Amino acid sequence: MSLIADRNLPLRNTFSLRRKRTPSKAPSAFSETVSTITLGLPALVAFALLWEIAPRAGWINALFFPPLSQVLAVLWEMIVSGQLADHIGISLQRAAIGFLLAVVTAVPLGFLMGRYSLFEKASDFLVQTLRNTSQFALLPVFILVLGIGEASKIAITFYAAVFFLLINTIVGVKSVDPLLVKAARSMGTSDWDLFKKVIFPSAIPSIVAGARLGVKTSLFSVIAAEMLAAQSGIGYLIQNSSLMLETDRMYAGILTLTIIGLLLNYLLVAGERRATHWRGSGESGPN
Amino acid sequence: MERIAVSAVRKSFNLKPGQTVTVDGVTSSRIAVLDGVDLTIDSGEFITLVGPSGSGKSVLLDVIAGLTEATSGVARIDGVEVVKPHARTAYVFQQYALFPWRTALQNVEYALEVRGVPATERRERAKDFLHLFGLKGFEDRFPSQLSGGMQQRVAIARALSTDPQVLLMDEPFAALDAQTRDILQSELLRIWEQIKTTVVFVTHSIDEAIYLADRVVVMTARPASVKEIVKIDLPRPRDLEIRNSEAFNAYRGRVWESLRDEVGKAQRDWTLASTYAN
Repeated sequence: MSLIADRNLPLRNTFSLRRKRTPSKAPSAFSETVSTITLGLPALVAFALLWEIAPRAGWINALFFPPLSQVLAVLWEMIVSGQLADHIGISLQRAAIGFLLAVVTAVPLGFLMGRYSLFEKASDFLVQTLRNTSQFALLPVFILVLGIGEASKIAITFYAAVFFLLINTIVGVKSVDPLLVKAARSMGTSDWDLFKKVIFPSAIPSIVAGARLGVKTSLFSVIAAEMLAAQSGIGYLIQNSSLMLETDRMYAGILTLTIIGLLLNYLLVAGERRATHWRGSGESGPN
Repeated sequence: MERIAVSAVRKSFNLKPGQTVTVDGVTSSRIAVLDGVDLTIDSGEFITLVGPSGSGKSVLLDVIAGLTEATSGVARIDGVEVVKPHARTAYVFQQYALFPWRTALQNVEYALEVRGVPATERRERAKDFLHLFGLKGFEDRFPSQLSGGMQQRVAIARALSTDPQVLLMDEPFAALDAQTRDILQSELLRIWEQIKTTVVFVTHSIDEAIYLADRVVVMTARPASVKEIVKIDLPRPRDLEIRNSEAFNAYRGRVWESLRDEVGKAQRDWTLASTYAN
């Protein structure tokens, strides 16, 4: 079942596969990280250098592509003045509220749909239709209905995350091993315990994988929404700087977003590992 | 003293829509698996069930376990009809059925947990049972970190931790290699000698059936009923060498003879059996 395949699997998973095949000479996690950095760093450094040199040498227009050092200087300025923290805070807050609302909606709903086929049949068409409607296309609707304030931004992040969570919850619930259910029943497990102690834990890896995708789309959606209709947030910062032709500010905003994305991905992968640590050392996430 | 009484148990399943079977010229969308099984088992007895593949031995266990309802007939434990899983019946499966997200210790605790045994008490009990099966030091391993034999030891420890009166085992050692299998058979007997619970053990192996049992129940090909019951008069405690004895050989010949015709029938019935197995 791979309705939603994660194309963003971290590179590390490939390494752990290799490690599994050659257990005798397995490098430690630390030396692996070191080799990943030493091998990967040159390309990144080259990119940074190009960014620095190209506008200075006049290869590209410095108005559109200010040198990296100038961007970093502006970024530092915004960090010191607290301006950046405000934008980050509001964006993350919007994404987090929308995402959490998606979790509390999608997980119970997913359990019902995964567990009761009649309920799934009744709701499947509607879910598929809504799922294939872009959250960005709906932004004008959210604005009309909810106004231009916070609610419409939270709505778009909610909408972006809810289907990843819903579908992965359904998949997780359906993939529970029938033998485990049988074994649990034979031990006199009540319906509630069956749900809590068997179905839920076995669905966790799938739900967490859905959450990982959901968190990212929530964040990206809020940025897009802020670009279109907001007076704050990183999306607004980027869009507004662009309009004002303050390209150094604009790139500072984009860099901020990249750093947040990287950190978030790292946290989510770590969280996913924690949630599935019982799967054994060589394996990575579900699907 | 009589513990389990199975009387005239029939069980049939509905086939998938569109599928039918023809038996003796009659076409039907239902398939009969158990055809009037009668069996009484005394308390403390070790019974093994042998029969051709797909003959419904596991279904019979499910009926005794209260996991599936007989189409007609009843199974009773201590005179009470089984309609839902009995608190003092435990079940061990071929594929271990351990919860992969729980450690060995937590898996054993599970059975006690759903019965409401307080945390400290169940932890102690679970530890004792793991130690009984030689799993000291493996309490905090996840099933994925244990060998097949160890996983099945955990599953049996889990089953026995609730002090069951009836232990149902569905080909518990079939997935293990030959040596591990021998070791676990001996371990099971050693522990059973101490607790003397009633065991109903399904197997494909005639040797295993004879080695373990007080009585070997030979089932017919599907739809299954009891073909013959062979009483095994071998001294206990038994060690593995007993399999080379003349008496054991004689039992082996006897059970095989009884089983042979049924296996032949089951093979002719193979295409049918494979459709029902799904």
